[in-house]
This record gives sequence, structure tokens and C-alpha cells, in this order.
Amino acid sequence: MTALFDLKDVAKSFVKGKEKITIFEKLNMTIEDGDFVAIMGPSGSGKTTLLNMLGGVDQPTGGEVWFDAERVDSLSEGQLAKWRANNVGFIFQFYNLMPMLNAARNVELPLLLTKLNGKQRKKNVETALSLVELADRAKHMPNEMSGGQQQRVAIARAIVSDPKLLLCDEPTGDLDRATADEILKTLQLLNREFNKTIVMVTHDPAAAKYAKRTIHLDKGEFVEEELVA
Amino acid sequence: MGLFSQIWTVVVMNVRSLPQRLWMSLAAVLAVSVVVAVLLSFLAMSNGFASTLGGTGSDSVAIVTRSGSQSELNSVIGRDSVNIVSTAPGIAQDENGQPIYSAELYVVVDGIKKSSGTEVNIPMRGISPEGFALRDRVDVVAGRMFEPGTNEILVGQGVIDQFAGFDLGQEVTFGKTRWSVVGVFSTGGTAFESELWADARLVQDLFNRGNSFQTMRIRLSEPGNVEGISELIENDPRLILDVDTESDYFSSQGEALQGIVFFGWGVSIIMGLGALAGALNTMYTSVASRAGEIATLRAIGFSNVSAFFGTLAESVVLSIIGGVIGALVSYTFMDGLTTATMGPGFTQVVFTFEMSPELFKNGIQLALIIGLVGGFFPAWRAARLPVVTAFRKVA
Amino acid sequence: MKDFFLVFKNLTRKPLRLFLTMFATFVAFLIYGTLTTFQVAIDSGVELSADDRLIAVNKINFTQPLPISYVNRVKGVENITGVTHLNWFGGYYQDPQNVIVMFAVDEGSFLDVYNELIMTDEEISNWMQNRQGLIAGEAIAARLGWSVGDRVPVNSNIFTQSNGSSAWEFDIVGIYSGEDAQTDTNSVYFHYDYFNETQSFGQDYIGFMGIRTADPQLNESVIKAVDDMFANTPFETETVPEKAFNQAFIEQIGNLSLILGSVVFAAFFIILVIVGNSMVLAIRERTGEIGVLKTLGFKSERIFMMVLAESLLLALMSGALGLLATSAVVDLINGITAIQLPVLILKQEIILEAIAIMVALGLITGIIPAVNALRLNIITALSRQ
Repeated sequence: MTALFDLKDVAKSFVKGKEKITIFEKLNMTIEDGDFVAIMGPSGSGKTTLLNMLGGVDQPTGGEVWFDAERVDSLSEGQLAKWRANNVGFIFQFYNLMPMLNAARNVELPLLLTKLNGKQRKKNVETALSLVELADRAKHMPNEMSGGQQQRVAIARAIVSDPKLLLCDEPTGDLDRATADEILKTLQLLNREFNKTIVMVTHDPAAAKYAKRTIHLDKGEFVEEELVA
Repeated sequence: MGLFSQIWTVVVMNVRSLPQRLWMSLAAVLAVSVVVAVLLSFLAMSNGFASTLGGTGSDSVAIVTRSGSQSELNSVIGRDSVNIVSTAPGIAQDENGQPIYSAELYVVVDGIKKSSGTEVNIPMRGISPEGFALRDRVDVVAGRMFEPGTNEILVGQGVIDQFAGFDLGQEVTFGKTRWSVVGVFSTGGTAFESELWADARLVQDLFNRGNSFQTMRIRLSEPGNVEGISELIENDPRLILDVDTESDYFSSQGEALQGIVFFGWGVSIIMGLGALAGALNTMYTSVASRAGEIATLRAIGFSNVSAFFGTLAESVVLSIIGGVIGALVSYTFMDGLTTATMGPGFTQVVFTFEMSPELFKNGIQLALIIGLVGGFFPAWRAARLPVVTAFRKVA
Repeated sequence: MKDFFLVFKNLTRKPLRLFLTMFATFVAFLIYGTLTTFQVAIDSGVELSADDRLIAVNKINFTQPLPISYVNRVKGVENITGVTHLNWFGGYYQDPQNVIVMFAVDEGSFLDVYNELIMTDEEISNWMQNRQGLIAGEAIAARLGWSVGDRVPVNSNIFTQSNGSSAWEFDIVGIYSGEDAQTDTNSVYFHYDYFNETQSFGQDYIGFMGIRTADPQLNESVIKAVDDMFANTPFETETVPEKAFNQAFIEQIGNLSLILGSVVFAAFFIILVIVGNSMVLAIRERTGEIGVLKTLGFKSERIFMMVLAESLLLALMSGALGLLATSAVVDLINGITAIQLPVLILKQEIILEAIAIMVALGLITGIIPAVNALRLNIITALSRQ
């Protein structure tokens, strides 16, 4: 496997009031292509900040972030947006679907950033929705669906443009156990069958078990790394 | 807790939380204030015009015009008719036992309106010293009285204000005759101040009127009573004349700007509908943002009536603030504004915008209606908010 | 354009708010449209004045008379193609309040100088032959219910007949229409001879002259020639182009355009505040969604454009409805014959100007929320939801 992500001496701090808060001082890590990493840790350990930096929505204050042999931390906001559109799919804890759009239209959103025409977009949306087994709910509005269904729509939205990387922020945090397992199985499927690299922040050890390995963060440091068979 | 103290608590809470919705609330206030300002400006315009003309006529003076003439300009009365009318009963007499009356001419000359720089119709009245005595509050405020029999004119204060070319000491040419402006007169803000006054006999000569006049003004022995004169006119087939008290004559002419009142109300009501939409928007937003508060109060036992009136009160307070601001703006910028328009006599009438408590009340009423309607529906929604839903919305 | 659906869905997500905001904007454009068509109609009296027509009035004021002999003297002036004369009659029909714009004219020369009035040859010849014949414009005929063949009494509030009556009998022989839709057809014309011979005072005087010049460029020289000819006589003249005369006449009433303009301005000011506020609020409520869109890879500029497009769409939709309603109001007003109103036309210029205002309004009300959306940081947006 080749390195998809390479973080070199990444530092992150911000100023809050008069205080300077440092989250990471020198973070080094590598994520291989096709990996499925769970990031765990207590509140304030920097899980979400790390995920945001990987996704290019937050910039490190020092060090370098390399993705697929390209340095991404120094890209402009516009370049980052384009990079995200091409390479990253996001899955959020509260699904973050557009309330006024139906499932299909929500899934279509990232395709609006491509050159695909309406017909092609429709086809890709159908493929993505059937992959998450929601083809029959295409016309439903988010408020007509359960939490699990909404999250599956969100997954379909994340994969519709076929990115290499999926970033998940507490994807099961708002779901019951059974539904959460379904979602995690879907993620696992995407990782195994479709070779998506997945980075998932979670506080749920049961969820972390679906990953290939888990990173524990505490006060900006890796404290443990365990591999799941 | 009684219903009223409940309502009062909610009202106080709502009003105190207004700053949190500052911009939205300001938008509603501003919209209402503009509507009220527009309405009051139109009303002040027509009110000022009507009170200028209404205040012009005196109740103790009768005016005689040719029947059907409708304005002094169109009227004609021969010297012989004047003489006959002057013998009518009910006319006040001077110390020598002579009837007090004034036969006058009313012609139109060109002047330049200062605001537009264009030529406008200025009335020029041919008058005699007797005519002066028939105007209440007449006063030469600058210069002096014209010398009868000479080409001298007095100009009204309104003319000096609004029209160019009639300054004190200036020479004016009408046709082939030159006139000099020797004085400025005031009649306390009435329509006469929009006129030029000169000796009647000279005006007759210049405008080829022979020995005819246009109107006749008569001092009544009993204010308001023109019966003696009107009987005389009716019984004499030679006289095709109308008689009226001067105050009635001018009041009816003052209604000429009544159209402005309709226009003002029409435009303001239509604009008010726009402002109403704004008020509704603001209040629905307010209810949405206070859903948590409302639910909390309901949960601890406040009635939905208090939620209703609390919201309604907020809307009414905002609208009335808007109404007062609008009225004050209109008062500041419009009250006392002097302008001139074409009056019913086909000549310029200088008048001043005039606000009154009555108009002010109109403006506040309009604001109140906007506030009540704009608050009612959102208040209804607030009252019907299910306690549980409201809690959920906060989460 | 791919984002249009998204923009549209955003706009329509809160139907009540959309309705209220659109209604406020609609009202403003209705006021704008209606008042502006009025303004244009009033101005059309000036706009439609013939460039080659001059009005010669008594220098003291246009209500003062001129001797009839002037007409023949003016005929001799160079570069003139026609001269006619008119007297204001002060006519009213039945009720003194029912005033008619009515002139006694010289029928022989009248239609040469005022050639924008259109009648059939038969009507013209009937008018020439009937001493008591009267021609009325379409608008006034509709208002008074007159038709060709009627015999009507008209009173004057200025003149009386030698027999003491103020009523004249007329035969309606023609109803003219205007060359242009907005040509004034509220006037009535009859024979000067009939007027002059029957009225009781001031015979052989005319009100003013209408003079047609060979070319508008020669107006200046004609004006000078006419006015110089009568200088230092008891009846000096003041000759002006008809356009200037009509303009000055409107100015006598007051600055109508200022009044109408202020009302329109006030109306737009109100919606600027209401719509602007409502847009800011709508976008603020969508902070989280905008954060998500940015996370998905939508560029800030694109979201900026989407917000602007939304406010533009709002302004254009409501404005279009306002104009549509305006055209209905215009039809309604044009259908009123009971009172004298100008013919209103919702002209292309007004529509174009309205569209320009819609665009401006859309941009102004959208710019603040659009900038807010542009600047919105993803992290704060997502944490604020």
C-alpha cells in the first residue's frame, strides 16, 4: 500500500481571548491508501480538528500535509474547495442534509461541481442511492426519513462523486445501536469492496471495531495504536 | 397569578428582549414610519391649502359675483349693477350713512415662480381704500400704501416669498404701463397674500375694463346674513348675480385639493399593506425566536392568552414607535413648508403645509392598524404553539 | 445554471415569508408602475407637442386677450405655414363642476395647424358647413356620452349671450381621435364666428394664436418677427414653442414629478429595508447549510452568487407581478370615463426602467447576506448549527 496522507510535524494552535491554546505541537502520521482508521479520544483531544485538517476545511499552523504526493496545506481556499470536491466525501454526525431538497437532490449536490450533464448526474445518483439501499426513497424529503436513512443518504452524497477518501465525524453518534451497525457495515463495505480510504472520528469503541486500526488521541499525542484483525 | 399580571409579565419580557431582534424590529418600525410620514405629508399639504383659503374669507363680508362664474377671474359686474346692489338692506353703513362696500377687479399677470423658474399666473387685484377696510388683519409690513391714481402696486407677502420680479422698489411692466412696487402687505397668511394690489381705476384702464368690475365686497350689518342682498338680486331681473359670505365662498374653493387627500390616503394604504407584510414578517420571526420562552412560560402555567397578548403588544409598540417617528419626521420637514399651486381661481395660491393634532391622530391610527393586524396572526400562532414542539425547537 | 434548482428551493423553503416579502416588493412596483405611467402621461402633453408649433399669447398673461386683427398680420411673417386663433370658452356641461376644455376656433385654419386631430372627411365637411357644429375628442365624448348627431347645450362660466343666457346650443358633428394614443382628446372645438356674434362683450378679441412654422429650426426667427411686430402696442405678444408653453402650464400646478418621485422613493425605501432584512435573516438561518456546501467543495464565490441570485430572483418575480398588476390597473383607469384622466400607457421605457430597478434592488438586498455567506468560515458555520 502507498501513503495517501502524510502528515509531517503538523502543529495546530489558536488564540482564544488572551490565551494561546495548542492542540498539536508535532503530529506525524501516515494513512495508507485503502485504510480504514478510527480516531478516538476524549473531548478536546483534537479529533475533530485533525479530521478538519485532513479534509482541508481547517489549516494547520505549522508542518505539512501531503495527500497523494501533493501538498495540500498551502493551497488557497478556492483550490482546497476544488480538491475536496474531487477527493473527499464528508459524513457528519447530524447528517447535514439540505432540508428543502429530496434525497436524490441531496445526493446530486457534489455532482453540481463536476462537468456531468443532467442525465449522467441522475444515473450516478441512482447508483449511489442503490448502493446504500435507498433507491426507493429517492423522492423523499429528509424530514420524512429516519435518522439511519438520512445518514445513508448522506453516505450516498459522500460517495456519489467517487472520491478516494471518506471523512466521517461521529457518523453514528446520533443513532441507535442497530442502525449504527448498519451504517458501519456500509462503511466497511465501501472500504473493502470499493477501496475507499476512510477516516472516522468516534467516541464509540464498538464503532471503532469496524475500522482496520484505531488511533487514540490525548492532548494532541497518539497514545496508542491498535490494529484490528 | 391573574391574567393581567400574566400578560404584563409577558409584555415586559418581550419588550425587554427587543434589542436581541434589533434589526428586524427596526425594519418594521422604519417601514411604518415611512408610511405615516407619506400620509401626513399629503394631509398636511391639503390641510394647509384648505386652511389658507378657508381662513381667507370673512363671515361679515359678502361677495357678489356674476352668476355661474365660479371664480373671481370669470366674474363681471357693471358699475350700474354695483350701484343697485349697494342699496340692498343688510349692508353696514359708515358714519356718513354710506354703505360700506368695495368694487374690485381681478386680472392675471405673469410672474416667475422661484422654485421652477417658469412663468405662472399671479392675480392682480384692482382695489380701493374701502377694500382695505374690508380685510381683517390687513397690514402694510414694508414700504408704504399705494397712492390712489398712480401706477403703484402693493405686493402680498406670499408673492415676495415664492415669485421673482416683485421686490420692493422694483419696476414692473404690464403691457405698455410701468408700475413700481411701493409696499408689501400681509393679511395674516390668507390667500390675499398671493396677490398684487393696485388702484382699481388704473387697472380698469390698463385692462380695458371700461367701468366694469369683477366682484363686489360688502360689509354686512349682521355677520353671516346675506338675505337682504340675495332678495334684492332675485327680484331684479337686471341682476344675474350670486351672493355668498366671503368665508363660504373661499371654503368651497379650499376643497380643490381634496383630491390630494384621496391620493394621499390611497397611496399610504397601499404602502401600508407593504409595511404590514414587513410587520408580519418581523412578528413571525419574533415568535419563532421566542418559541422556547413561550413554551417555558406555558409549561410553568402561563395561559396562551398571555402569549397572544404579549406578542400583539410587541407589534403594537413597534408600530406606534414607527408612527410617532413618521409623524415627527413629517412635522419637522413638512409643517411650515411654503409652496404655491394653481388655485381654483386659475391663479397661484401660496400656502403653507400645516400639521394638526387631528392629522397626527390619523397617522397614529394608521400605525396602530398596521400594528394590530401585523401582530394578530403571529400572536395567534404564539398562542397555539404546542408546549412540546416549542421545547423541541429550542433543542 | 445548474444551481438554479438549489436557488429556487432555497427561496421557496419558507412559503409564508416568501409570500410576505414578495407582497411588499409587489406593492412597491405597483406603486412605481402606476405613478410612473401617470407621470409619463402628464409629460406626454409636453412630449407630444409639435416642435414646429408656436403659441402667441398676450405678454401680460395668457388669460389676457389679443385683437383679432393680429392673425392677418402674423400670416405675413416669413417661414410660417399656418396661423389659427383660439378662445378659451370656460365651458361646462349641465353642472358647473363638469368643466369642459373648450375653445372657439377659426375652422378654416384650425385643422391645418392642429393636424394631429383625426376625423373623416365627411365629419370635417359637416363641421365646416354647420355654424353651430362642434367637434369633440374621443375621451370627452365618452365622458359626456356625446355622439355625432346630438344637439347639446353648453354653458360658459365666462361669457353670456347677448340675450343674457349663458347656454349655447351646439350640434355635435364630429368626434376626433388622436394621431398618438396619448394625444389629448379631452378638448372640444367650435366656430369662432358663432361665438363672436352671439356673446355679449369683448367682441373681436381672441385668446391666443397657434402658429405653424416651416421648420422647427426657424422657430427662433419667427418668434422674434412676431413679437417685434407687436412691440410697443397696447397688446404686446409673447410667442413661445408649444412645448415650453405646455411645460410651464404643468409647472403652475407644482412640482408633480417631485411629489410622485418622493412617493415612489419612499415605497422603494420601505421594501429595501424589509427585503434586505429578511434576506439577511434567511441566510443567517442557513449558516450550517452553507458550511456543509463549502465542505462539499462549493467555492465561496459560487455560494456568494447563489445568494445574490436568490435575492435577484425574488426581486424579479415580485417586480414582474407588480408590473402585471400595473397593466391591469392601467386598463382599469383607462376604462374610467366619469372623470377626466390622461390616457395611461405602460410604455416599454417604464418596463425597462422597472427591470433595472428590480436588478438593483435584488443586488442591494442580496449583497450583505451574500458577503456574509462568502466570508463564512466552515468551522464556525458547522459549530454554530
